[in-house]
Amino acid sequence: MVTVPSRLDSTPPASGPAPARRPTVVEGVPPSVPAPAAGQPLVEIEHLDFFYGASQALREITLGIERQKVTAFIGPSGCGKSTLLRCLNRMNDLIEGTRIVRGSIRIHGVDINQPDVDVIELRKRVGMVFQKSNPFPKSIHENITYGLRLQGIRDKAKLDEIVERSLRGAALWDEVKDRLGESAMGLSGGQQQRLCIARAIAVEPEIILMDEPCSALDPVATAKVEELIQDLRSRFTIVIVTHNMQQAARCSDRTAFFYLGKLIEYADTRDIFTNPANPQTEAYVSGRFG
Amino acid sequence: MSQLSSSASAPTPQFPIHKRRLRFLGLTVEDCIKSFFGGNALISVVVLGLITFFLVKEGAGFLGQNRQNLAIYRLAGLEFVDHLRRQSEDHTALTRYLSDLRLRTLNQWTGPGGLTLEAANARLAEFDDYAARFGDAADPLRGMVSDLSEVATAIKTKFLVNEDKKEERRQLLAEGKVAEAGAVVITAVDFPAELRPLRDSLPAYREANREFSTRLGALLAAAPRLPEPELQRRMDRFAELGRTYVATFPGIERDLAVWDHARPVSAAEAFTAFIFGRQWLTASFWQDWYGVVPLLTGSFLVALVALSLAVPLGVGAAVYVNQIASQREQRFIKPGIEFISAFPSVVLGFFGIAVLGQALRAMSQLPWLSWVPGFPYSERLNILTAGCLLALIAVPTIFTLAEDALNNVPRALKEASLALGASRLQTTIRIIVPASLSGIISAVLLGLGRVVGETMVVLLCAGNRIAIPDFTQGLGFIVEPVHTMTGIIAQEMGEVVRGSIHYRALFMVGLVLFILSLTINYAAQHIVRRYRISIG
Repeated sequence: MVTVPSRLDSTPPASGPAPARRPTVVEGVPPSVPAPAAGQPLVEIEHLDFFYGASQALREITLGIERQKVTAFIGPSGCGKSTLLRCLNRMNDLIEGTRIVRGSIRIHGVDINQPDVDVIELRKRVGMVFQKSNPFPKSIHENITYGLRLQGIRDKAKLDEIVERSLRGAALWDEVKDRLGESAMGLSGGQQQRLCIARAIAVEPEIILMDEPCSALDPVATAKVEELIQDLRSRFTIVIVTHNMQQAARCSDRTAFFYLGKLIEYADTRDIFTNPANPQTEAYVSGRFG
Repeated sequence: MSQLSSSASAPTPQFPIHKRRLRFLGLTVEDCIKSFFGGNALISVVVLGLITFFLVKEGAGFLGQNRQNLAIYRLAGLEFVDHLRRQSEDHTALTRYLSDLRLRTLNQWTGPGGLTLEAANARLAEFDDYAARFGDAADPLRGMVSDLSEVATAIKTKFLVNEDKKEERRQLLAEGKVAEAGAVVITAVDFPAELRPLRDSLPAYREANREFSTRLGALLAAAPRLPEPELQRRMDRFAELGRTYVATFPGIERDLAVWDHARPVSAAEAFTAFIFGRQWLTASFWQDWYGVVPLLTGSFLVALVALSLAVPLGVGAAVYVNQIASQREQRFIKPGIEFISAFPSVVLGFFGIAVLGQALRAMSQLPWLSWVPGFPYSERLNILTAGCLLALIAVPTIFTLAEDALNNVPRALKEASLALGASRLQTTIRIIVPASLSGIISAVLLGLGRVVGETMVVLLCAGNRIAIPDFTQGLGFIVEPVHTMTGIIAQEMGEVVRGSIHYRALFMVGLVLFILSLTINYAAQHIVRRYRISIG
């Protein structure tokens, strides 16, 4: 069973690169060198057509997500941004009748939709935080260690260490360090969401997908999570779906605007919000629809 | 003011928002609808209350009657005789142990390459002689028991005849027939005088007992030796049991000496005789006992067997349907399992007698299955047969409710687990099942309630032998016939006299059943409520 290779052996596919594939590359970088941040995109989405049953949700999406950057997907409801996000760790597999008709998604050059890909290995490397916080009805400690135990880590000292590191990473340690054994259901909404982030980073993924992580939170909790996203960008590649344009402007490096299943514009966040190339983007970011 | 009233009485007001109600016998339509549904709810509550009240009322009369029943048992000296009878029965048990030992010895000696039957019997002559002498040693005791039994029975009969006459006179007086009432002769039973033969037998009993224990002591000391160590071990055990038996004699003598026919029977005694009574014996020549323990044990064991089959089946099927099965399989399996509950239980019972009982018995007689405890067996109707069928009845309940509980686990938890790199199986075992555990437990409890209350199947298939199964043989008890609480009510209620102690005893059994079901259901609901809160 072929698994997604680690970050070091990112050999590009043998076929020649399509011209439309790397809109963000400014200068040629030799492909054999382990690519730095500005090099080849970590995730390459090409000509993706995606269907829920008979209705097409994504049309011709081509997009590259760069490593250790925050990429925001914005757009009105039903534009397909969450669907695209869930394609990246194949969560759409759970929904009956979904299928990718055309195109590919490659991470480190490996097509994640090939039949020989182990979806479990994929999801260990591409973590996810959901719209509504969903801690398990277990203790805080067990929530963090769940993914690690699945990987067979039993050493208590090591687990404790990772729990502390993950909770510190999610800026939650000081608030919960005295009650790790208590149920996670007793935390506030914002704490629960940060716990979910801690749970996701505990298994050390490369990419973290966030599906409107703040939509159920109050402004104070939202600010904390946004701060956290800024901290995490140095270690993880983050893709965030958001309804909140200020949030996209505050947190992200790159922004993609979707409308009716199409990628309308994808550029640096500053450009999208100050100088959009497409009139539809301009109409949306200035609040005229959506 | 006058302006206001004139505008209100106007046919079409400016702002027509007043209610226009159709009245019917002074009630609006809404009132009628409300009282219709309210009335229905009220009726069910009232009926429930009446049932409970009736059960308690009829059952409560039992305590007084059982108290009287026990009082006669004591007054007429039956209790006295039963002390002796127990001694005699314990001796019989020892004799049985000896004959069992003989059978084992014979089997061992006549085994492959062993002695012929005649030779083995000849070799056992000494043993037989010993067993005979041991058996005969109790003859004086047995004689005494049978003599005194007659005395006690006579006293009891006399008392009961008198009670009947009292009742007759009361009825005549109530009808105003004073002359006839006067003609009814009532001779009060003089218990101390009547019981004199019993008390007078005490010195003779002590004398006989002394001799009995000397003889037993001598016999136990001179027990024959058996060549095989395993058999000799049993022989030693016999001697040990015998010595323990002899050691109980002074206790019995003491009980007899302090026995007092006039000691009152307390209400608590009448109650414990029911709740902890180990015998359910009705219409007996000697003494009726109404002890619920054999029935409770029967119900409990049948339910235990049923649940140990139905829980894995029901919960397993629920997990499969909810987590693993495809849509098409779900469409097929769910109605299939729920369809089982459409069978009338009497049909299942009939199936149990005609097919399952036969099949299980035939299976138990297969040589390669003889390692199963209790196999082979010959009673077709027993705990196992009834338990298997009751499992069939409990499976739909457990399946449906467990499936609901699994379904209620938020989808988000499943997604969270999968997103962390868990497989479907890991997600099911580590997240979904624990999260729905309380729902599953309450499903099992409701299944238990269903099983405990089920009547027809156990009446037809449990074997209806009123006895506590023999637990000394390990798991073998599951192939013994039992009677259950529901079964006995259904079987005996038709033939008892209304208002008699037996009738009321059956109501007490019903009350126990009611309380049991109520507790189970309450526990199940309580757990479900807690589970709803924890899932949020």
